[in-house]
Amino acid sequence: MVTVKLFGTLRLDSDVKELTAEADTIRALYPLVLAEIRKQKPDSGITEKALKSCLIAVNGKQATPQAKLRDGDTVYLFPAAAGG
Amino acid sequence: MTNYCGYMGKVLLLDLGTHTAENYIWTDLDREKYIGGKAMASKILYDNLTGAEKPFDPENLIVIATGPLTGTGAPSSNRFDISSLSPLTGITSSSNCGGNFGHYLKKAGLDALIIRGTCEKLSWIEINNGEFIFHDARELRDLKCGETQAALQEKLNAEHGKKVSCGMVCIGPAGENLVRYASVISGERAAGRAGMGAVFGSKNLKAITAAGDAVPSIYDKEGAAAHRKKWVNYIRRHPLTGEQLPKMGTAGLVSSMQVHGLLSTRNYARGQFEQFEAVSGEALAEELTVTNSGCLSCPIRCTRRVPVDGKTVKGPELETLGLLGGNIENANLEQICHWNYELDELGMDTISTAGTIAWAMEAGEKGLWESGLRFGETEGLSKIFDDIAHRRGIGAELAEGSKRLSEKYGGKDFAIQSKGMELAAYEPRRAVGQGLGYAVANRGGCHLNGGYLVVLEGLGMNVNGQTPHGKADLCMVMQDLMEAISCGGQCLFTSYGVVPAFMVRNPNGILQRAVNAIVPFMGPAVRIYNKIPEIACFNIPLIPYPTELRYTTGMKLTLGEFTRIGERSYNVERAVNARFGVSAANDKLPKRLTDTLQDPGNPKTRVPLEQMKRTYYRARGWGKNGLPGEKKLRRLGIR
Ligand code: SF4
Repeated sequence: MVTVKLFGTLRLDSDVKELTAEADTIRALYPLVLAEIRKQKPDSGITEKALKSCLIAVNGKQATPQAKLRDGDTVYLFPAAAGG
Repeated sequence: MTNYCGYMGKVLLLDLGTHTAENYIWTDLDREKYIGGKAMASKILYDNLTGAEKPFDPENLIVIATGPLTGTGAPSSNRFDISSLSPLTGITSSSNCGGNFGHYLKKAGLDALIIRGTCEKLSWIEINNGEFIFHDARELRDLKCGETQAALQEKLNAEHGKKVSCGMVCIGPAGENLVRYASVISGERAAGRAGMGAVFGSKNLKAITAAGDAVPSIYDKEGAAAHRKKWVNYIRRHPLTGEQLPKMGTAGLVSSMQVHGLLSTRNYARGQFEQFEAVSGEALAEELTVTNSGCLSCPIRCTRRVPVDGKTVKGPELETLGLLGGNIENANLEQICHWNYELDELGMDTISTAGTIAWAMEAGEKGLWESGLRFGETEGLSKIFDDIAHRRGIGAELAEGSKRLSEKYGGKDFAIQSKGMELAAYEPRRAVGQGLGYAVANRGGCHLNGGYLVVLEGLGMNVNGQTPHGKADLCMVMQDLMEAISCGGQCLFTSYGVVPAFMVRNPNGILQRAVNAIVPFMGPAVRIYNKIPEIACFNIPLIPYPTELRYTTGMKLTLGEFTRIGERSYNVERAVNARFGVSAANDKLPKRLTDTLQDPGNPKTRVPLEQMKRTYYRARGWGKNGLPGEKKLRRLGIR
């Protein structure tokens, strides 16, 4: 289980601050995050493409979309406009 | 008089001692070379200061200058500049402000106001359609900035028998008591840095009001309207100026600074603050922001409006959130909003106040100087701020700033300042180009005057912040560009638009990653361009400033000429500073940033300053002493 925290306009536009998900890569996380956003705010207009362009940090350190995840990790997603 | 539109054609030199005014000669050739704003102010200081003056001497000048775009309705063009010898640094300095004074100074018929001498007693000056009246301000003594402006508005209304539409600049108790980092306030906005408020105070000048009926003309109204429409659309579509800044203000940068290791924490001992979320832009937006607002004619509207004591007031910027947050180990957002308001009301720069407090906390911890201040213990700070503004008790010492305190008590290595001015909240050991900028900036530890490379090194693009490659050249070119933008009268935040939107939107894309990887190797090309900017005998949509200036003023400017104006501005400022003893030896950072690794396991996490400085001086065409020579000044037409 990993914790995902959303930042910047991604968070303000989606009303999702934080979620937990079962995923072992960042790539596997995108659809799960999107599903949660759609649940919270169906009309947010946020797409998977927008999520994929996010800057990523795992446990406070910058990471790439290829990064592998371990149980207990915390993932930050920053929309590019928040300083990517 | 001037043949160019946009300007009012008049610069007034006001002597506070004799209550006389004379026209200061400022020709169209000067306008072509310096445009206005801070470049104009630097040239005026260059022509009038000998190097013998001290900041609190009557001979020190205050120059309040607008740009030709100020008050013309161009996007984000409501800025004005206050320049003078700074009591914090002892050298020339400038402070830019988005308050309404610039707009009304032009309505009063003036492009700039030069002030010298000292008033016999505390006074305020009313400027009306180019005429000026001195008023006794003794009954305004010790009034805070909001109270002062309300009292002045009432007086003007009573005097004229109607509601007077006017702009104001004023100081609070901090300026009156010569706190070295006192600000000047206009409306709710501050000319915060460098202690311009203390210079006002030393001249017994509490406030200036400006009003009038003049309107700056526009050279090509239709062209200007079409160009502005296009530009505003671009600003609104750009991810930084159209989404990030309006929705979150500069506060939105806190979280990404945290991830990049750029968030000043515990007096810059670290670049990450564990509780950053509590003082982030997200928290500000979700928990406190009522709405956003902006300076006149600004489509970006980056200002936060937050509740404080039952009022809705201007919220804190990123610098204040960082420096009164993690840098003193405080995670109480409401408290920061409160302090931000209090400091504006007292008329004190939030950056230098917070930087000095952080130094005092560490000095206390290390047993060098006991002020009672400790990291994480923030109760009673409001009282300390008031004591500083009134120079009471330890407030009298804190009012001197971190450089002077560290010279007296020790702890220079962790006095986070350059040339006497405290640094903003960007920790530069993970953005070494920004570190170079802080060190070489003419006005001292300023992120903007230093070229603001942190925008490329993590906050707008993702260029490697740990490499010194190319940073000297990029620093120079960014400094020059921002100088030129500023002297037209526009807000520097419009320059975010210079970073192509596609670079910001998808930092993970292949093209974007390739560009980020190439940028550090662009130094030589940047340098060639800077040597002969005339090769850019055209304009590009990404840099719309010269075109806007042409439509508004009638002055034909290519991109190359525009760049040259920025370079001239930077060099003339340096040349004034040279008279006051500045050289390469003053372009330095505290050892904490150059000699101590932010991450002990990563040898790159320090600012390799000396290496970058050498390249920077070469790129600028300056000597090893870090100064422009005679030839350089002549080539730029300064001499
Ligand atoms: S971007 Fe912000 S600071 Fe700049 S002019 Fe607009 S509101 Fe003022």
